[in-house]
Amino acid sequence: MSFWIVIGVIAAIGFWLVAVYNGLVGARNQGQTAWSQIDVQLKRRHDLIPNLVQVVKDAMGYEQETLTKVIQARNAAVAASGNPAQAGPAEAALSVATRGLLGLVENYPQLKANENVMQLQEELTTTENKIAFARQFYNDSVNTYNTRRQSFPAVLAAASLGFGPMDLFTMPETEREVPKVALR
Amino acid sequence: MTLSTATTDFVAAQRVNRRNTFLLLAILTLLAASLGYLIGWLLSFDDAAPRGWSNGGVIGAGLMAAASIGWSLVSLAISDKMVLGMASAKDIDKADAPQLFNVVEEMSIAAGIPMPRVMVLETDALNAFATGASVQRGTIVVTRGLLDTLSRDELQGVVAHEMAHIANLDTRYMVMVGVTVGLIALVCDMALRTLNWGGSAHNRSSSGDKKNSGGAAILIIILLVIGILAPLAAKAVQFAVSRQREYLADATSVQFTRNPNGLISALAKLAEKAAPFPGVSHATQHLFIVNPVQDFTKDTPALLATHPDIEDRIARLRNLGG
Repeated sequence: MSFWIVIGVIAAIGFWLVAVYNGLVGARNQGQTAWSQIDVQLKRRHDLIPNLVQVVKDAMGYEQETLTKVIQARNAAVAASGNPAQAGPAEAALSVATRGLLGLVENYPQLKANENVMQLQEELTTTENKIAFARQFYNDSVNTYNTRRQSFPAVLAAASLGFGPMDLFTMPETEREVPKVALR
Repeated sequence: MTLSTATTDFVAAQRVNRRNTFLLLAILTLLAASLGYLIGWLLSFDDAAPRGWSNGGVIGAGLMAAASIGWSLVSLAISDKMVLGMASAKDIDKADAPQLFNVVEEMSIAAGIPMPRVMVLETDALNAFATGASVQRGTIVVTRGLLDTLSRDELQGVVAHEMAHIANLDTRYMVMVGVTVGLIALVCDMALRTLNWGGSAHNRSSSGDKKNSGGAAILIIILLVIGILAPLAAKAVQFAVSRQREYLADATSVQFTRNPNGLISALAKLAEKAAPFPGVSHATQHLFIVNPVQDFTKDTPALLATHPDIEDRIARLRNLGG
């Protein structure tokens, strides 16, 4: 009789471990998928910025300093990519630089009317938005995952099953706002 | 502006809708089986065994249950094609509306679901709707007028509302509710007819039967009342569910965009120019972001409205920080 009770308890613990494990795997995978989505958009922005600089370079002869800054920020962000903790500040700096450049473009009527520039503006705006939304989804997913692995009773098993904490992707508070580009 | 809404909100909404969809299917099947039993019993003449199950009734119940499950599954499978066909929505290229595609992609990222199909309705009216039997097979449709009139932020708010319907699985749930309401109406209609016909058949065939005719009369009167009231009640429930879904989709939209102002000013514009257009009818009115058939200058009784008052929706959005 007591033998069966022992078997029953072991089976219950086994089922519980499987449930905890599967739940954590699901949450972690969602976080990782979300991160790869951010990564795609960050790379897209890294690719778009040289194009924009190329197109506006000639017309903005007097703004070489801004253009250089944008390119430097972009190269720093490329170097920091891949790791949420390091990429955050670098990407925030790039956002500021890009916004500065887009703001300057507004002062050049011939640029504003340029089909190429308009297209690049829309592409940069949507990429900035996608970064913001992907970050939002990533951080929500990470929060869900971290809460789950820290909650009782999963906290008893999470660490020994190899589920470490995940990093949030933070950009400094002042850079939270997406650059607004007037398109209409 | 910070909103402390977590992703789990619409994951929870999805779970509730999944459960309710299943529940409706179960109720529907049960209802159909009961009716099938009633019809089978009335039509068959095996009253030899007064106690116990009637054979004809059991056969009728089985047939009706199978038919209702079949009908529900078929409806879920083809409803989006039917709706898109009825509204004559057209596919467009990304090159024709790059901003729309960008905004839809942004919102699919915010919702964490695959990029839905994007279509347009060629009309000046301002409106939009979504279909999809699953999160993976969503479609978002906007009118040409909406595309030409709204700013980027407003378009984003509307697209987020439609994305919310897909992510919350409202699209599937509303199909199931529609099927249920349709089937209840049909079932009641059939029941009323059967009571006439089957009742007289029984009177003819079993005049000397021991069946308690007084009890049967009361039963028939009760069934008559149910048969007349049930479809109306079902319709009222459908509208109530629809209104609830709209509030939730507005809230989820803000959760995605973190910007209530886009949707607020979009709704204000839509209220003015959501005129009826070809291909829209009472069959599809509940799908749209604002009701395209209803006249917003008049007060519609709340019970009969597919959508909440636009002013009420805007007021609730302002509470979210707009």
